[in-house]
Amino acid sequence: MAKKPKISELLDERACAHSATKKSACNTQTPGATTGGCAFEGAQIALFPFADAAHLVHGPITCLGASWETRATPTSHTGRDLTQMGFTTAVTTNDVVFGGEDKLREAIDYLMEHYAPAAIFVYATCVTALIGDDIDAVCRQAQAKYGIPMVPVHAPGFVGSKNLGSRLGGEAALASLVGTLEPETTTPFDINLIGEYNVTGDMWQYTPLLEELGIRVLATLSGDGRIPAIRSAHRAKLNVIVCAKSLISLTRKMQEQFGIPFISLSFYGKRDTSSGLLAIAEALGDTELLARTRRLIAREEAALDEKLRPYRALFQGKKAILNTGGNKSWSIASALQDLGIEVVATSVRKATEADREKAREYLGEKGILMTNPGAEQARIIDQTRADLLLAGGRSLYTAIKKRIAFIDVNQEKKKSYGGYQGLLNLAEDVKNALENPVFRIVATRAPWEK
Amino acid sequence: MGEIIRKPRKPLQVNPIKLSQPMGAALAFLGVNQCMPLMHGALGCASFTKVFLTRHFCEPIAIQTTAVTDVTAILDGGDYNIAESVKNITTKVTPQLIGLHTTGLTETKGDDIRGVASRIDVPLVYVNTPDFEGGLESGWALAVKAMIRQLTAPASQVQPRRLTLLPHVSLQPIEVEKLKEFVALFGFEAWALPDLSTSLDGYLGEKQGSLSSGGIEVADIRSLAQSQIVVSIGESMRGCAEALREKNPAMRHHHFPHLQGLAATDALVAMLLEESGLEQPPASVVRWRKRLQDALLDTHFALGQTRFLVAGEPDQLAGVCQALGEAGGRVRVAIATVESPLLEQVVAENILVGDLEDAEHLVDDYDLMICNFHGEALARRHHKGLMTRGFPNWEQIGNQLKNDLLYEGSCYFLFEAANAAEEMRRHRKD
Repeated sequence: MAKKPKISELLDERACAHSATKKSACNTQTPGATTGGCAFEGAQIALFPFADAAHLVHGPITCLGASWETRATPTSHTGRDLTQMGFTTAVTTNDVVFGGEDKLREAIDYLMEHYAPAAIFVYATCVTALIGDDIDAVCRQAQAKYGIPMVPVHAPGFVGSKNLGSRLGGEAALASLVGTLEPETTTPFDINLIGEYNVTGDMWQYTPLLEELGIRVLATLSGDGRIPAIRSAHRAKLNVIVCAKSLISLTRKMQEQFGIPFISLSFYGKRDTSSGLLAIAEALGDTELLARTRRLIAREEAALDEKLRPYRALFQGKKAILNTGGNKSWSIASALQDLGIEVVATSVRKATEADREKAREYLGEKGILMTNPGAEQARIIDQTRADLLLAGGRSLYTAIKKRIAFIDVNQEKKKSYGGYQGLLNLAEDVKNALENPVFRIVATRAPWEK
Repeated sequence: MGEIIRKPRKPLQVNPIKLSQPMGAALAFLGVNQCMPLMHGALGCASFTKVFLTRHFCEPIAIQTTAVTDVTAILDGGDYNIAESVKNITTKVTPQLIGLHTTGLTETKGDDIRGVASRIDVPLVYVNTPDFEGGLESGWALAVKAMIRQLTAPASQVQPRRLTLLPHVSLQPIEVEKLKEFVALFGFEAWALPDLSTSLDGYLGEKQGSLSSGGIEVADIRSLAQSQIVVSIGESMRGCAEALREKNPAMRHHHFPHLQGLAATDALVAMLLEESGLEQPPASVVRWRKRLQDALLDTHFALGQTRFLVAGEPDQLAGVCQALGEAGGRVRVAIATVESPLLEQVVAENILVGDLEDAEHLVDDYDLMICNFHGEALARRHHKGLMTRGFPNWEQIGNQLKNDLLYEGSCYFLFEAANAAEEMRRHRKD
């Protein structure tokens, strides 16, 4: 049964770029000056997209009540989409005083009776971790009783950040699921997609291309994921980490345990999508496949260039400032550059070491890496004469004041900017923003203002 | 009045509509100007709340966390985390008030926040809001009561024509504004505690989101005991009005379970006429009452043939069910997030405390749902009409300007419900 993960080990991930220079960069929390989600949220992000499994949150109502149905991670699962359902023991004072294990056990029985999931993930939260409910024991007994995987997830919010929680989620899947089932068939080109959650269907922008190349996605963690698939993920020839540093511990361990090599890439923008496909083909080490991939890339890029032609004249000479977090600081920059837009500045406030390096690489020497974008961006708009600000809603006022166009980067939570097709979505949104008179109209002075 | 169904309790919530006390408290503090809600718990509690409210109001939300970790959860009694938080907040901004509220985590470990608060020399209100008790409504009310108890100065005299409004959590910013304007028409100077109408009403302005921008001033909370009248809206707020009267027994208290529909607004107007000594209300009030009479008649045919499910916080349920019932809408099922003495008075055939799985089990009983956005999937699956009300509504914009109150808002509410019912029927025919 699940060996509890060692948090100190996860915080000191040797495969991380920053590990050589910094200690524990993943887990600094200052009271009264902290933003971002907790470990539980990270675990939720990593595991909830398994739509054939029930996700039972053992905690008080805040943890799930405020968070279910928040992420658009579509699935092709034909049964009921359990990702978009909320299950919680919603512990009460009575449970806190007398323990919540009985309630948890009954909740599992209820789920088995009413929803017949392929597995149940049981998430510990701060309160149930503190009162010492033994979710390992409850899961062990339930697994023996029902014969399906019962996965304890030890990522209570207070152990750290969202990033750590995603790692803990990955650990839980590795400990309880990976390697517990043999795949029906294998192919020489079986890969796992790790850290791809299929938000807004991002994954489906490129999986048809993989399929066409003869590359089979054996399992995902966890976009459009299935429990039987992740259980047989140990037979893949390659782990592909998509745009997510947090699961690097998992892929390193899978390399150690099952000899599966891993590569890390992104499918944002034309260049990244092409180099991503190529990297997978190269890693699988088949010359025939490599040649096929090159032909497919040439075809897709030509088709995309054709479709982007009407936009190019409009985007000629346009400058953009990007204020967003994490890997988006460079992945969206790369996509914008593919559209012919000059990215003059990007925020690296919440980016990792590796993300910063990437951002520098994409923006070049002249590009500005903002560490305090809230204070900097207005001045940089003036300096660079930027035409467009892509940022979260908070920065809208800056764009209005500076009379430039604005795109809410969180749009990507609603529609996909991934793969070749996603670039067309981005192009359309940029075009609409640049052509929209609203920013000018809103900025006009009221009749009573001189 | 319907029957309250008390089923044997399920061991879990499936598709919950219930929301937590700390979230309600945080929202209450956002109705105070230049306030920093400080949630005493792990960072996720505040983060989930921030995202939740940001998406509902489309506004930056100010909130901070004491960021309790596994280590401080064991070793600290709250002193370190809270004092550090206050220090770190005040080095960056100067809040008029810090709204310290607890979570399940810090209540389980049993922090003495009252003791910690007494050692902090920044304006601060503390309140215990574990999320394993109560819900959004009670968290909001507890925070309001704490503000009154800890900030409001006792008084023995009242100033005539000063009136304090205590709105329940489900009233949206524009509804609080309409209420303030309504009582002003009768010659009263009104304060609302909390006052979201000037903080989360969605206006263009420079909002960094580091502190709440808008809301009632702390100085005005301090002088609330000088009000001649306190009006509580919603059962959850009754105790807050009593707490205010303890500060000045000369104050008169009027309570309204809700202010939706003709009868409820009539009751408010009757009170305002009596307290103001006016014979007649202002012309616009008279006009709006006539419009509501007309709206009731215009919508009665559509609503009279529609079976409703209404789900939400108890105080909101009371108002919505009453307003529908006046036009003949049949509320077959009312689902409350939590228990409330008010449930006895909700105008519905069946009333239960439950979740959206319960709603799914009763799916043959209703045609149109009035529910938060979580009802959308159910409505789509079973071809029900849906009118979105309550927290959260992440699928639609403009929540802060949705007005269902008084004569005027009741008109809009009835029209929207009737149109949704007709659209649902057209859709079913296709």
